[in-house]
Amino acid sequence: MRRRRFVTALAATPAANALLGQQPGRTDEASKLTTISPDAAALAVPRFFSAAQLGALKNLCQILLPSMNGNPGAAEAGAAEFLDFLIGVSPLERQTLYRKGLDTLEADAKRKYSKPFAELSAAEADPLLKPHLAQWTFDPPKDPMKHFLTAIRADVRTATMNSREWASAASSGSRRRRGGGGVGLYWHPVDPTRAL
Amino acid sequence: MAKKIYDVLIVGSGHSGGMAAHTLTEKGVSCLMLNAGPVADFEKDRTTKAAHELPYRGFGKPGEHPHIFQANEFNANTWVNEKEAPYSHDKDAPYNWVRVRLLGGRSLFWARQSFRLSDYEFKAADHDGFGDNWPIGLADLDPFYSRVEAQFKVVGRKEGWKQFPDGNFVSGPAGASADSECVKRLTAAAQKMGYGVSRMRAAMGDGGLASSVNLCLPGAVETGKLDIVPNAVVREIKIDRNTGKAAGVCFVERHSRREMEAYAKVVVLAAGTLESTRLLLNSGICNSSGALGRYLFDQQYGATVVAAMPEAMNGKARPGMIGGGVFIPRFQNLDQSRKLNFLRGYAMPMGTGSSPDAKYFPAYGAELQKLLDTYAGACIQGGIYGEVLPRKENHVRIHKTGRDAWGIPTLHIEARYSENERLMAQHAADTMEEMYKSAGFELLVKSTAVNPPGYSIHELGTARMGDNPKTSVLNRWNQSHDIKNIFVVDGASFVTGGWQNPTMTILALSMRASEYLAEQLKKGEL
Repeated sequence: MRRRRFVTALAATPAANALLGQQPGRTDEASKLTTISPDAAALAVPRFFSAAQLGALKNLCQILLPSMNGNPGAAEAGAAEFLDFLIGVSPLERQTLYRKGLDTLEADAKRKYSKPFAELSAAEADPLLKPHLAQWTFDPPKDPMKHFLTAIRADVRTATMNSREWASAASSGSRRRRGGGGVGLYWHPVDPTRAL
Repeated sequence: MAKKIYDVLIVGSGHSGGMAAHTLTEKGVSCLMLNAGPVADFEKDRTTKAAHELPYRGFGKPGEHPHIFQANEFNANTWVNEKEAPYSHDKDAPYNWVRVRLLGGRSLFWARQSFRLSDYEFKAADHDGFGDNWPIGLADLDPFYSRVEAQFKVVGRKEGWKQFPDGNFVSGPAGASADSECVKRLTAAAQKMGYGVSRMRAAMGDGGLASSVNLCLPGAVETGKLDIVPNAVVREIKIDRNTGKAAGVCFVERHSRREMEAYAKVVVLAAGTLESTRLLLNSGICNSSGALGRYLFDQQYGATVVAAMPEAMNGKARPGMIGGGVFIPRFQNLDQSRKLNFLRGYAMPMGTGSSPDAKYFPAYGAELQKLLDTYAGACIQGGIYGEVLPRKENHVRIHKTGRDAWGIPTLHIEARYSENERLMAQHAADTMEEMYKSAGFELLVKSTAVNPPGYSIHELGTARMGDNPKTSVLNRWNQSHDIKNIFVVDGASFVTGGWQNPTMTILALSMRASEYLAEQLKKGEL
């Protein structure tokens, strides 16, 4: 305790910088170095959905938003892998909506085609998906499958159109532009409250 | 340090607080402004980024802002963190309380739509028998509106309609550009139905910013009469037991949690409707009427109707065919001989030439893309700005156990929309559908849903003004009936709100109250 008090008092003295390590006067050098995002160098590791759910999710994402007009589709954008992360850190209600929705599609695929949803073609998936499409309303549909399909249609578009791959395609002169990959004015945390 | 006593202590720095500081300091009154949050630096605190550079690809951290539908990952750090500053509502009655605590508050981010209330709102009870009138009318506020409109550089087109009072407009884009063919057809269809069509009225401000931080506070600081303390979370108003008057406030320094007191001859609350009322409730004052916290209302923005102009579909739009907006102010229930099945009224803002949101089509894959291509740039999107009735049962109260990060008791909000709001939304959607069809447009989406209360970010009432101290909290000068040296100059003072964005009225009321306050101070009445 006495030692802790001593260290605290020491840190408050002007000489502390010399004792506590390097405190560079110039900080502009590091900011000039070019860095890349983790997605540009590595692959995300899915951790939330089961193997069957993830398989169904990957195929569903690709069916909902395939590559079109020179733009990457959900598969190229890693939308399913990103959603695995996003839903994994979402409130339980959202997690349940996705898990139950994917489980239902998997069960429907096995019942109708005797194979997992992950192996269905778009034409085979249509009869399983179209009955669950709902006209847009301000509040989400009460039917869980309609709610799920409404949510994932929007989420897949956002995950794809806000991806690094989409931004690269949008900025490429040889490809048809469809949005700028979600460029915006980002607000940093402004003097956030310090925990005591 | 010697005890410093200011003439006026202002809690809050948004439009209402900024205008109070501007008006008071101009008259030589010394002011202290306390703001709960920090000062934002528009250069340092903002960066242009691509969504894929953000941790959640633009989705935002899940669950971070459950009540703020306007939040996204780009602006997430500007809103009040609900974990630090929580509030509660009944599970079956959600309320979206959207707050900003940066210096300047919500004036940093508002949509700048600038309208006056009319006597259809000020004297609403005379007109339809519901609720109460304001103790003031348009004539009382007219000179203040004019000065505010000049200060905020409001543009608009004069119409001469009683329910849509003209302002002291500066020349600008709102009345300048030529109508597109689409707008002309929409206008003709509206006029055939008995609706007048105008243009949006908006504050141009300076460089597109019409905020307290650039239009009110700099001038006040320049006088040398204003001190601003950021990061001061006000706990309660301190009452002098000998005089029964306010002596200042107790506040908590946001980072250190140090408890402090500041002193003034007069306290002006401008913390935003519900924060000002929360402060009065937590102080246990200004409620001899029992009206404090009651008559909470806002405006409904839910109903949406989207259509497409057939001639502009499939990329066939040519210059002058589509684009621009129209604004249809309230035309309902103006003539009492033609009563509808709801009270009051709504306005309809409409934009043309947009592309549809993918969510509007129950489709996916190539089929969806084809639809998006077909309707790209050909859409007309209309919405509602609808009046919400001020009802006593919609209220806020202090939660029995809830505390924020600074140990200050939190609010419980209990507000529900009624059948009147639902019928109004239905009427608006039906009207827009009829208008679109009459103009020869193809209907794509029609939603009659009402949004959760609070969604419009126009919460009003809870410390309403009135001439009768038994039924109102404030008098006609935004001054407490109970404690004469307390003023509330934000939206809490509203008696009705109409459909109009309340900012111009808040600014005008704050200016008017502040001039009165300065006079009273001079006379030694406070």
